[in-house]
Amino acid sequence: MGDIIVSMEHISKSFPGVKALEDVNLELRSGEVMALLGENGAGKSTLMKILSGVYTRDSGILHIFGKEYGNFTPKEVQKAGVAIIHQELNMCRHLSVAENMFLGREIIGKVVLNNSEMESEAQKYLDELGVSISPKQTVGDLPLAQQQMIEIAKALSIHARVLIMDEPTSSLTSREIAELFRIICKLKEQGCGIIYISHRLEELSYIADRVTIMRDGQYITSGNFKDFTMDEIIENMVGREIKEKFPRVQCEKGRKIFEVKNLNAGRLVRDINFSLYEGEIVGFAGLVGAGRTETTRAVFGVDPKASGQIYLDGEEVKIRCPADAIKAGIVLAPEDRKKDGLCTKLSIRDNLTLPNLDIVCNKAGIINKKAEEELCNKAINDLSIKTPNVEVDANTLSGGNQQKVVVGKWLVRNSKVVIFDEPTRGIDVGAKVEIYNLMNKLKQQGIAVMFISSEMPEVMGIADRIIVMCDGKITGELMAKDATQNQILTYATAFENKVGQNSGREEN
Amino acid sequence: MIKKQNELKKFWKIRGMGAALTAFIGLIVIYIAFGLINPMVFSGQNILNLLRSMSKYLLIGVAQSCVMITGNIDLSLGSLVGMSAMIVATLMVSGVPVIAAIFITLLCGIAIGILNGLLVGKFKLPPFIATLGTMFVARGIAYMVNNNRNTDNIGIKLGKGSADAFQQFFYYGKTAGIYNTFWISLILFIAFFFLLSKTRTGRHIYAIGSNVEASKLSGVDVVRTTIKTYIFSSVCAVIVGFILCAQAGMGNMEAGNMYEMYGVAAGVIGGVSPLGGSGLLLGTFAGAAVWQTLENGLNMIGAQVGIQRIVIGIIVVLAVLMDVVIRSGKKIKIANKSTK
Repeated sequence: MGDIIVSMEHISKSFPGVKALEDVNLELRSGEVMALLGENGAGKSTLMKILSGVYTRDSGILHIFGKEYGNFTPKEVQKAGVAIIHQELNMCRHLSVAENMFLGREIIGKVVLNNSEMESEAQKYLDELGVSISPKQTVGDLPLAQQQMIEIAKALSIHARVLIMDEPTSSLTSREIAELFRIICKLKEQGCGIIYISHRLEELSYIADRVTIMRDGQYITSGNFKDFTMDEIIENMVGREIKEKFPRVQCEKGRKIFEVKNLNAGRLVRDINFSLYEGEIVGFAGLVGAGRTETTRAVFGVDPKASGQIYLDGEEVKIRCPADAIKAGIVLAPEDRKKDGLCTKLSIRDNLTLPNLDIVCNKAGIINKKAEEELCNKAINDLSIKTPNVEVDANTLSGGNQQKVVVGKWLVRNSKVVIFDEPTRGIDVGAKVEIYNLMNKLKQQGIAVMFISSEMPEVMGIADRIIVMCDGKITGELMAKDATQNQILTYATAFENKVGQNSGREEN
Repeated sequence: MIKKQNELKKFWKIRGMGAALTAFIGLIVIYIAFGLINPMVFSGQNILNLLRSMSKYLLIGVAQSCVMITGNIDLSLGSLVGMSAMIVATLMVSGVPVIAAIFITLLCGIAIGILNGLLVGKFKLPPFIATLGTMFVARGIAYMVNNNRNTDNIGIKLGKGSADAFQQFFYYGKTAGIYNTFWISLILFIAFFFLLSKTRTGRHIYAIGSNVEASKLSGVDVVRTTIKTYIFSSVCAVIVGFILCAQAGMGNMEAGNMYEMYGVAAGVIGGVSPLGGSGLLLGTFAGAAVWQTLENGLNMIGAQVGIQRIVIGIIVVLAVLMDVVIRSGKKIKIANKSTK
């Protein structure tokens, strides 16, 4: 292992009313990937924001390449050789690739910007990464995975030797993840140190050299990745033993509740047929972009349907807009919490009542405070949402609790079908189990649960029946107890022959 | 030949060029349509007048566009026009030499610009509110400069020569056969065009309009860039104040009323996004020209003022509506691509 390039000792940081970090230590060596692990709210992001100069620490010592630093600005951090690749990619969508890479440190010719030099410099670093992106392209037109590559190229171009990657794989397809790992290995060989934050523990074995584990703003332990078992890591993160990662409840399979027939909507929803039964969870597996989200959107009436029928309790229902679906008792907890699931600037109370105003309002449309309060309390108790009170803004909650609010706002209605789209994305192990328990509870209550997930162990662990989609079509269906990863993957990659060669992921 | 094609393609590909060119095409169509109804529209004198009267919209449009590209808005522009017209006129009436009067007025305008920039950039006030405040303040100053009276006859103390020079320079004089007013605005337009497309400050203006957070993390000084932009817009407004003062030969307390909105309209017709991050000043040029051609043309064919307003309102909404429709079509295409 190389020299220590970053060392943070006894770092503490408080926000008004909260102690975010208490006496935290972290060490990074050159040429290694150090996985920084912990549940949401453990303080990983705060620690990284201190390292990248966004927050100033209250106390503690920070060395980068042996040099001690006091308080510094993001610009000074860049100079010191630290770059952060944000989870929610921070790019100017309207600007070109080269413009983004050189933002804040533009190359000036005699008087004016030297665009051609910036473009050729950018090209150099993009080539170094082996990605085919033109520096002239507008960033907003590129898919997320490529935007991430640009951020990495940008980090290289400022000669960063310390890279912080915050959940870099959360929105990538498996092929893109492989590409990312290849680049991480390359960076490692060049002697960069990488701090890697991820909730997908299964991917650590491919890249992590060492781990540092945090919990509740405190440093717990660190060591070589090889010396830990996965269970030990989880135990250290959660602070308790998680007996069952995938709790399972057996239920009698009942009558057919919901049926979709010959649904077509755009290129990614082609001739979809499936049914949901009482007392079972149906998992939808597939690669990112297989059309699963599009299917839910078409079912829920967000996107227009080209053709197809939807039956609920044997009767056809016409769904033209989400309001129709909600009225019929079909609800959707969408994929992107912050974008589609919550009004992040509104309070928990407002979020919980928003789709239920018909219940809490009287005929004149005036909100009945008492009914509203009852409804919120019920949701908070039923789902054990951890929040100081119902008046706080939704975005102050941790990811897991936000997800519970998204789900909770639907469960106070008497829904018949609940659709979860990637409900556990970006939330920690403990919160995941709570979401699973919630789905199991719905299943026991006789509600049909449709559950989309790109994480195969999760689908296999929670669903009773698995439907696999690929390229807008259902390519396979199997019972979870008989399913193997290989089999699911075979279905998930069953592209039609004519598109098998080039699945259209290429942009150009 | 191939190279030429590539150049052309490159030209098309510049962000915002589509909207700007559409506005130019619209401009030509409107102009020809009016000309067919009343051939006087094509007359040389009318073209000269058109260029002169579009100049103030062009300057205000450039001012507002720069601010809109940063994702903000400047509602104080119209009041600033009035304020500077009053200040410059009153200074001249009280015997301050023309050059000094111009200089002092510019400083006053810049002060308001810095105030706007600080309120929005440093104290994070919503730009709509901050500049609404300075809008009232600036108009109030316009009223107070000469004790609630317009300032008449700017030549009274300096003598006719100085006042004439001022009026000639900003409004009545011609250089190379075209009114000075147009040259002034054209020079400023080119300067700002250059600033936005070729300089670091310009790049930062686009960047903070596109994503403030990313810009900050990239080391862009957001506060300074915001202040700079508001100074630019204020300077443009002050110059429009000079033009109006020179035109009337007096300072009018109500000068520039509603101009800030004309600026928004000129920018928006030309494809500048009020949400920030995109737009070309070339579009603003077309937008200002469309605006003035409509006003001029409707006038020449004898339409009532009411009709003029309605037509202009419809055009503004249509321009943005078109943009929204094109964009949402594009977005769906991209979404399909990236989910694949």
